Amino acid sequence: MTRVSENSSTASLKYALNRTKAKMEDLQLKGSTLKSITKPSDNPVSNVEAMALTSSTNDNIQYLKNADFALLNLNVTEKSLEELTDLLSKAKEIAIAQSSDFFNADVRKNVANEVQQLYNQSLAVANKKVGLKNIFSGTNTLTVPFDSNGSYKGDSGHISLEVSRNFFVPVNLTGEEVFFSSEDSDSIESPLQKFEQFDKSTINNISRELATKEVDEDGEVPAKPFKTRDNIFAQLQALTSALENNDPEMIQGLLEKFDNSISRLVTLRTRIGSITNSVESSKSGLESENVDHISRKSSLLDADVADLFSDINKQQAILKTTYQSTQGVMNQTLMDFLHR
Amino acid sequence: MADLLGIGKSGLFASKKALEVTGHNMSNVNTEGYSRQKVIQSTAIPVTTGGFIQGTGVKIDGINRVNDEFIDKRLNAAISSSKFYDARSEHLNQVESIFNEVDSEGLNQILNKFFNSFRELANQPENETIRSVVRDNAGLVVKDFRRIRETLDLQAGNIDRKLATSVSDVNQILNHVADLNGKIATIEAQQGESGDLRDQRDVALKNLSEEFKVHTYTDEKGRFVVTAQGIGTLVTGLHTQELAVISKNKEHSSNNMNGSVEIVLKDRPSQAVTGKFQGGNLAAIIKVRNEDLKKLQDDMDGIAFQFTSSVNSIHRQGFVNRPINLGPDGTPAQADSKGLTTGLDFFTQPLTKEGAAGSIDLSDAVKGDLSNISAALAPNAPGDNRVAIAISKLQHERIAGEDSVTLEEKYLQTIGSIGLETGKARLDAEQSSGILAQANSIRERLTGVSIDEETANMVRYQHAYEASAKMMQAADEMFKTVLELKR
Repeated sequence: MTRVSENSSTASLKYALNRTKAKMEDLQLKGSTLKSITKPSDNPVSNVEAMALTSSTNDNIQYLKNADFALLNLNVTEKSLEELTDLLSKAKEIAIAQSSDFFNADVRKNVANEVQQLYNQSLAVANKKVGLKNIFSGTNTLTVPFDSNGSYKGDSGHISLEVSRNFFVPVNLTGEEVFFSSEDSDSIESPLQKFEQFDKSTINNISRELATKEVDEDGEVPAKPFKTRDNIFAQLQALTSALENNDPEMIQGLLEKFDNSISRLVTLRTRIGSITNSVESSKSGLESENVDHISRKSSLLDADVADLFSDINKQQAILKTTYQSTQGVMNQTLMDFLHR
Repeated sequence: MADLLGIGKSGLFASKKALEVTGHNMSNVNTEGYSRQKVIQSTAIPVTTGGFIQGTGVKIDGINRVNDEFIDKRLNAAISSSKFYDARSEHLNQVESIFNEVDSEGLNQILNKFFNSFRELANQPENETIRSVVRDNAGLVVKDFRRIRETLDLQAGNIDRKLATSVSDVNQILNHVADLNGKIATIEAQQGESGDLRDQRDVALKNLSEEFKVHTYTDEKGRFVVTAQGIGTLVTGLHTQELAVISKNKEHSSNNMNGSVEIVLKDRPSQAVTGKFQGGNLAAIIKVRNEDLKKLQDDMDGIAFQFTSSVNSIHRQGFVNRPINLGPDGTPAQADSKGLTTGLDFFTQPLTKEGAAGSIDLSDAVKGDLSNISAALAPNAPGDNRVAIAISKLQHERIAGEDSVTLEEKYLQTIGSIGLETGKARLDAEQSSGILAQANSIRERLTGVSIDEETANMVRYQHAYEASAKMMQAADEMFKTVLELKR
């Protein structure tokens, strides 16, 4: 028969009470935070996964910001291209009207003023800013891209933004690409290309929608053609001077150039549009990804409320029973039943 | 007739002694480590009178304590292992709380913010305000690396101090045991009762077992010997071998930390025994200091070193956000009125991996002027964001731990492993405390005082006392009867 001593019964009582109360404390902590994990050791694997999810969610939030910023740039660029197309269309209409011999020199002189206005407007469009950025300056964004003569002060740098992980989109067109002929548009390299720290195999194949490189038959990139005379500003200036000089033949010669410029602008607009679409779709991808992250994180970290509270109730009942049985055992000995 | 009185008297004495022992037991019901005592009595030596062998009453052979050496040894072993896991779990809990990011912002989120601020800078590299956000976030990274490293160092230092106090406690207990050995030997030489002193010695050994695993035996000369497993003999009879702590410099320490405390035997100060303790508090905190904290410090240093070096190596390729004069052949000027124009570090470049997390700081260039934060890979290109993008891409680049994991993965691995260790220690602690409770209850069942039992004994010995007294009364009356014959 097991012998029971005072100390052995209090010790086992203490042990039982402690265990129940420790469990109760843990449950209460979970109940008050509604989290099933309050420290890493509660569930190391879930904790680490939740932390990775948190940073990936934060990354996505930043990518969304980047995407909004890219969209802002792209939209302003597209708007500018639209305005330019309108301006050039107007110039072309004027050129068509004035190419016949129907008008005399005086009329043409008046019309020349109108074309001069178109020139000024297109210069204003070319020097458009988004925030601090001159959007058509390449990477030399703090410099006004075109002076009043229409000569280009920017550079040929392209700016790319990461709008979702490893997905870079070019967000600017340089002044050269828009206002000069299309032959000189360079291909855009990955922003990571110049850093040897990165593994090249993963970054070389970023899709490029904009301004593909022209390659001639030998597979060589053609040397940059002389371009200063063949640009939108030069075309408008040429129209002005042709009108002033009352030279319908020259005006007629300009028609094809206007057509070329307009069709180039339309092409650029389509490309900008397709980039805008891909940014939009990556944005909605990120948003739904974040919803998934949040629900996964919640399933990792949050306590199951129904389970938790039924556990708490159960534990409370156990604790109560322990107290009641303690009351029966403690402070009662044979002494109480012996008559003196 | 005189026999009758003598027999009565012996019964009276025996019952009184038994009642005394009962009282002693009852009064010590809550004394720690007390083993109940009981009176060993036997019949007194019979005498032969008139051809009959006749009993002469009862005699007391001694007062024994109820005790089982093997149960005590098992209890001590249970104490050692329970204390080991308790202390380990307690210390790892503190370590773990450094890395707790469940509902607060920790290094992982701060690093994440740092990289995202470079993404924001990539959006608007012209913007000076965003540069100051980048610098602030980098400052937070610096602060948090240092916080983690300093807290780890602090905890290692706390353990050093704990070792010193534990060792002085141990020495006190060792001397106490030696002292008790002497007293017990003296009393037992005089045939005295040593039960209470033995109880005290058992308590001392239990306390010693909390610090490390103890083994005890009595040698061939009857001396009581206490040994620590893995260390050697600490008490032989009256003689003690005390422990001592000494501070060692980095090369001689067992954990490659400066000024860390090592334990030695007082007589052999050149030979550290720090790593040799088994079980108990000492082994637990030494393990936390030499293995867990050490690993964390190394990991954090490695992460900090990789992080600062990688950011620097990219940042050095960039150009400052100021107009830079170009030479006649188009090469940008190396320096301007505000200092260098390229090749600037973002963080101060750590020379070695060791201590990198503690010494991390922003470079003087970045501290001094915001325009020194280089986002551009080309000079005079305020809109060029390639350096900013490249730095932000480091977040997902496998640059930590032999180039196979990203910084974040490495950091999360570190947290994961400390979480696992802590969880394991907590489970072990729960389990071993269960085993300890069981061992304790086995001991208490055997040696503990039961008031019910003692009450029953009290009633029993009271009755026996009364009966013996009645016997003497009867003898008295018989005497009277005999004496009245003459009247």
